[in-house]
Amino acid sequence: MIGLRSTWAGRICLAVASTVILLFLVMPIVVIVVTSFGKDALGSFPPHSWTLGWYHQLFAPGSKWPGALSLSVLVAALTTVFSLLLGVTAATALVRRDLPLRSAVYGLVLAPMVIPQVVIALGLFLLFDPAAMLGSPIAIALGHTVLAAPIAVLILMATLRGIDERLEDAAASMGAGRLTIFRRITFPLAAPGMVAAAVFSFITSFDEFFISQFLSSVDTTTLPVQVFNVLQYDVDPTVTAISAVLIAVAVLALALVGVVRRLGSGRESGLLPVDSTAALPGNEVP
Amino acid sequence: MAGSVLAPVPASTAPAAKSRVRRSLRSRRTRSGLLNGAPIVVYMLVLFVYPILSTLFLSVKGVHGGLTLHWYADALSGANLAVLLTTLRISAETSLISVVIGFLLAYAVSRLRPLWAGLVMLIIVVPHFISALVRTYGWIILLGDHGVVNSVLVDLHVPGAPFQLLYNEIGVIIGTTSVMLPYTVLLLYAVMRGVDRRLLAAAASMGAGRLVMFRRVYLPLVAPGLVNATVLSFILCLGYYLTPALMGGARQTVVAALIDDEVMKQNQWNGAAALGVILLVLTFAGLSLLRLARAIGASARQRGAA
Repeated sequence: MIGLRSTWAGRICLAVASTVILLFLVMPIVVIVVTSFGKDALGSFPPHSWTLGWYHQLFAPGSKWPGALSLSVLVAALTTVFSLLLGVTAATALVRRDLPLRSAVYGLVLAPMVIPQVVIALGLFLLFDPAAMLGSPIAIALGHTVLAAPIAVLILMATLRGIDERLEDAAASMGAGRLTIFRRITFPLAAPGMVAAAVFSFITSFDEFFISQFLSSVDTTTLPVQVFNVLQYDVDPTVTAISAVLIAVAVLALALVGVVRRLGSGRESGLLPVDSTAALPGNEVP
Repeated sequence: MAGSVLAPVPASTAPAAKSRVRRSLRSRRTRSGLLNGAPIVVYMLVLFVYPILSTLFLSVKGVHGGLTLHWYADALSGANLAVLLTTLRISAETSLISVVIGFLLAYAVSRLRPLWAGLVMLIIVVPHFISALVRTYGWIILLGDHGVVNSVLVDLHVPGAPFQLLYNEIGVIIGTTSVMLPYTVLLLYAVMRGVDRRLLAAAASMGAGRLVMFRRVYLPLVAPGLVNATVLSFILCLGYYLTPALMGGARQTVVAALIDDEVMKQNQWNGAAALGVILLVLTFAGLSLLRLARAIGASARQRGAA
């Protein structure tokens, strides 16, 4: 590879290969967005004629999508709340406090990220089935929180590490109470991180399939479960439009994180006359 | 850390008082830590550990009570064993392919200027946050008999085209690889960015050929990332079944799909639990392999430094 890079032919080879691989990542997404505007939703690509008809049909009377969409939004909103509450407290404990068995707690919190989701889903099914909670949005949200909370904790830990504790100490030395410190110093500085944690919790829940599949009942299915059922069992051209909606939600959410981060990035550097980039994670040499 | 700043103990105070202040401060921090740490610990114990333990229990419970290994015998024989082997095969193929092409892409990005690297990483990361289900559906559109891929191949007069790319192993591998690829690229890119280019320059200055340089200097430096990416994507594949279910045929049934089927359609919870525990054991095996590899790597580095 090093040999490749130094010759022109090598460089071109590497560039072509990378472009093909990038296309490999992007094509499935592009093809859905484009096809969703085509008249023959399951037909040729690129489409010969264009329409917004599939989007209209999503909300036609008798469509199953609005119900699934609102359930998914409700579950994702609940998950976001649960995951933020757990995330803020856990990140505080792990970064700012003395916690006995710290590494064990850290391992427990991150474990759901590597355990096969189908196993977690099966366990939750065994938990909620006797409680007759299958199909309840709360049960699904509680399940999603198992997957979303670790992500929130990681983001919030990084956020807290990036906040200079001396700012809080300085405020305390000038007589600010704990609540004031939180409201005037910690919260404003942590806000971008909290938005990121909220957004990623929301997307995690909104796109989650396994737990929803195991915990849903016949009349409560989340959007991904509904999409899966349509793809597996019947042919319904509106599934392309709803997939495009899912793509749009994810892209908008990521854009939101990006914007908030940019807005927040100037804050701390305005408060402290030191080079704050030195403390940012990612600058450490592994 | 804050303790030292927060406790402006006058220098004249006796050491005993000083240590008392520090101890009370520390215990306050500990109490607050316990208070803040408790919610997530309780949550994970109730909704994560306990469910997995009950799965474990169910997998050894006989029909009429008592302990049995019957469900494991069932899970490891006949058609179920074939499904397990299929899962291992698909996971191995997918993780190897994602690591190889992920290596290529991560290497290319790591050689770009920061601005371009940021843009390309955006193209890699954004798909990662788009539902895997949706991306799989995109592949179904692309790979159909009259899909884009086949029509391009036919137009190029590739012999044998159109190919059967869906509902067989090729489809499953293509779909799953595209789901796993962002992971491997992110893991590898992080390691490659940390590689000290001066080491390569040093090797070159001492007359190492390009191949030798790659094999003896670059590869050992990024090897931890390669092992990490291979094992982690393998583990992630083990429990993944969206793409195999939608893009595979009957011969691409994976363990996770079997679990789903046994719970939802056959009401066969014990069998499902045994399959789940087998996945869990395989995952832990992978993780301990990773730990072992890290230990070996660390000791090798120590020897290299000595």
